[in-house]
Parts: sequence; C-alpha cells; structure tokens
Amino acid sequence: MNGAPVKIVIRGLTKSFGAKHVLRKLDLDIFQGESLVVIGASGTGKSVLLKNIVGIMTPDAGSIKIDGEEVVGVTGNARDRINRKLGMLFQGSALFDSLPLWENVAFGLMSAHGVDKSTARDVAIERLRQVGLNSDSADRFPAEISAGAQKRVGLARAIAAEPEILFFDEPTTGIDPIMGDVIDGLIVKCVRDLGATALTITHDMESARRIGDRVAMIYDGKIVWAGDVENIDSSGNKFIDQFIHGRVDGPMTTELAGVGQA
Amino acid sequence: MNLLAAIGRVFLNFLAATGRVAIFTGISVGHIFRPPFYPRLLLRQVIDIGYYSLPVVGLTAVFTGMVLALQSYSGFARFNAEGAVATVVVLSITRELAPVLAGLMVAGRIGAAMAAEIGTMRVTEQIDALSTLATNPYKYLVAPRLLAGMIMLPFCVLVADIIGVFGGYLISVHKLDFNPSVYLKNTWQFLEVIDVVSGLVKAAVFGFLISLMGCYHGYHSKGGAQGVGSATTNAVVSASILILASNYLITEAFFAQ
Repeated sequence: MNGAPVKIVIRGLTKSFGAKHVLRKLDLDIFQGESLVVIGASGTGKSVLLKNIVGIMTPDAGSIKIDGEEVVGVTGNARDRINRKLGMLFQGSALFDSLPLWENVAFGLMSAHGVDKSTARDVAIERLRQVGLNSDSADRFPAEISAGAQKRVGLARAIAAEPEILFFDEPTTGIDPIMGDVIDGLIVKCVRDLGATALTITHDMESARRIGDRVAMIYDGKIVWAGDVENIDSSGNKFIDQFIHGRVDGPMTTELAGVGQA
Repeated sequence: MNLLAAIGRVFLNFLAATGRVAIFTGISVGHIFRPPFYPRLLLRQVIDIGYYSLPVVGLTAVFTGMVLALQSYSGFARFNAEGAVATVVVLSITRELAPVLAGLMVAGRIGAAMAAEIGTMRVTEQIDALSTLATNPYKYLVAPRLLAGMIMLPFCVLVADIIGVFGGYLISVHKLDFNPSVYLKNTWQFLEVIDVVSGLVKAAVFGFLISLMGCYHGYHSKGGAQGVGSATTNAVVSASILILASNYLITEAFFAQ
C-alpha cells in the first residue's frame, strides 16, 4: 500500500474448534494507516481472525506481529501493554451495563492509562460529542439508549484513548441502514482523524465499500482475494464476484447447498 | 467394557474440571496480591456480600436459635438435662449452624448473583471488552469478589452468632421459663474462644468458595440465556456441596481428638 510499513503481519494462522477447522494457515498483511475490510460469509472465520489478533482467542498455530512484535501467546502485563495500542468496537457494542455512558467511554483511560476521573469524564464527553451524542446523555445507562446509540458509544469508547489500531466487528449488524450509514461515516472520520490503522470485518458490502481502502475476502479459513476497494468489481475473482453479487451459483455453492439440504 | 469406559470418562471429566478450577483459583488469588487494585469495586462487593446479606442471615439465625432451644429442651427434658439448653444452643450456633446456614443462604443469594452477572458479561462480550481495554478480567471481576467473600462472611457469621443465641434466649426465657441471668451465665460458662474462632474460619473458607464458584461458573458460561441459567444453578449447587464437604474437613482439623 504505497510503500507504507506493515503494521500487522499474520502468517500461517490456524485455529480449529474440535473437528471444525476455521482458520487454515491464513496469511494477511495490514499496512500502517490503511483501513482494511475483511469480508466473507457467516461462519467463515472473520470474527475468529479478529479475536486472535486482539488476544481474546489463542491460535493453534501461526504468528501475529504488531509493529514487529510477536503477540501470540503473550499474556499478563505484556498483553495489556499491547492492548493499549488497540481500540475495538464489538458487534453487540459490549457496553458495561452497570456503568453510565461516560464511564464506559472513559473506562480504558481510567483503568489502563491512569487518567484521573475528572479529566477522563471531560475526555469521554468530548468523545461522545464526536460521535454525535450530547453531554446530557453522559450519565445515562446503556439499557436506556437505542442499539444505534449504543454503537456510537462503543465507537466513542474505542477511540477514547486515541489508539494506533482500531478493530470493528460487524459495525452495522443489528441497526437500520440509515444508522448503518451514519456509523460507517463516523468510523471513516474517526480513523482519518486519528491516523489509525483499521481492520473491519463485515458481510455488509455497502459498509465495506464505505469504510475500506482495501478489501480482503476470507473463505474456507484462508484469504482468497485482497485488493483495493476500487478494484473489487473488476477483481476477476470468482469468490468475490459471487459474494458481492449475492449469487447462489459459484464456488461457494456446494457448501451452501449442503447446508440447505441438511 | 462400556460401563468401565463410562466410569472412566466421568472420572477423567471430574479430574479435568478440578484442574480447571485449580488453575482459575491460582490465577485469581495471584491477582488479589498484585497491583493495580480496585478498592471501589472491593467496597461494592463488601456491601453486596456483607451488608445486604445481613437480613437473610439474621432471619435464618434467629429462627434457628429459637428452634434449637425448643428442640433441645424437649429432648433433654427426657433425662432431666434441661439446664444444658443454653450451652447446646451457643455451641451449636457458633460452631456449626451459623457458619453453615449463613454459608448456604449466602451461596443462594450471592453465588447465584455473581454467576448471573459475570455470565451475562461473558455472553455479551463485556469480558472480552475488558481485555481489549487492557484490563485483566481476573483482577477486575474475580479478585475483588474473592476477597470480599473471605472478609464479609465471617462478619455475617459473627452477627448470626449473636442473633442465633438471642433467638434461643428469647424462647428459653419467655416460653420455657428459664431464669434470664442463669441462662446467660450458662451460655458464657462453657463457651470457649475456639468455638467462635472455628466458626469464623469456616465462614472465611465458605465465603471464598461461594465467590469462587460464582465467578468460575459465570466466567465460563456460554450459549446465551440458557448458559447463564446453567452457570447460576451450577454455582449454587457446587458452592453448597463444597461448603458441606469443607465443613467436615475444618471440623476435623479443629476438633478431632
């Protein structure tokens, strides 16, 4: 990507759950400052890939390097140090339901970065404002706001500590198309403002086109195509063509039909 | 052969589960002693486990003391040993009934709540979110609960000791016509420090086990609402069994001749 250094290098990543092989020696490079979107059908290992990178899961084999530092198998304080570089928006937002919104946003600042409560609250309110929520909402609880607003708060939490790398897990799933557009816009703005490297996983092609500089498609535990988002319609890749046009016929048909016949 | 294989499988599963609990315990206890500490979370758990459990523990203790006085009076009257009622009440309460019954009541109240809260956090990815925010879930969620359980159940049991003895006193004096000063004298006369201390040690162990089981089952719950429900049930059942089993071992350690 225009000679930018590689921020995250993934080599031979393998993960199985019993007899189900989800990731099969997957290789992927994510360049500094780019927004990479990994697309793929449900159950193809997108979330597993992301969870292995952020350390929520441990791969069976393979290597993940962030800024040249191996992160597989790293635990405890060393893992916490790596995670301070990261911010993540979860599919279901994963807000702490016992805390008001501002504390959700300020959580990482207070807990991991040692910021005092008063300063953290000011930062949290500023972050909430950045994602379109006013300061009146700061003292409300996650259960009191809509799913779309929860996504905004999740995004505010992800960017609160100005991380170097942002991860977005299905950012538009579970919200209406208009709110999805809003969330995508906020993601693009936040990534650009922070100058962060971003990895998004989604099966929403509209979202992928809005967010991504580059797109990679995962199928059968491997990356089957990766390229600039402008080239996705002329990729000539049969997996990509089938996926973006939502066709039943194609190289993925056999597996889909097998599921249907079961 | 199939029967042997089934027995072997159950045994291996038991060993594996024991190993998982041991590892969970080791990691969690390690985080009690290593900074950063979360005093605000500890205080919240102290209030939840200690203060809010007092009504249920107090009610259990007062009725237990009352029943104990009635039962021991009617039993001892058969061989003219009614004078031992006060001693039986105070020893039974302090050594056994207060710690065990308080432990079981708190297991139902707190163990279930911990498993449900942490289990919900697990299935809604809140625990994963903690990790991505560079916050260790063991340190943030488990360690304060273990510490609060160990500190606060002895406090609850001490209160239960007093209320239980008071329950026995009420029945003995107002229903069975014991002389109040004689009853109190008999209560103190044969009570030794070890009777109270053994109950408090039991309470500390029970508090640890209740919190451990609540956190362990909640932490490993999966599968949505059904998984959280199972975690809650397992937390209460396993904590109750461990309370009864460890009660025997601690009694053996304190009082076996």
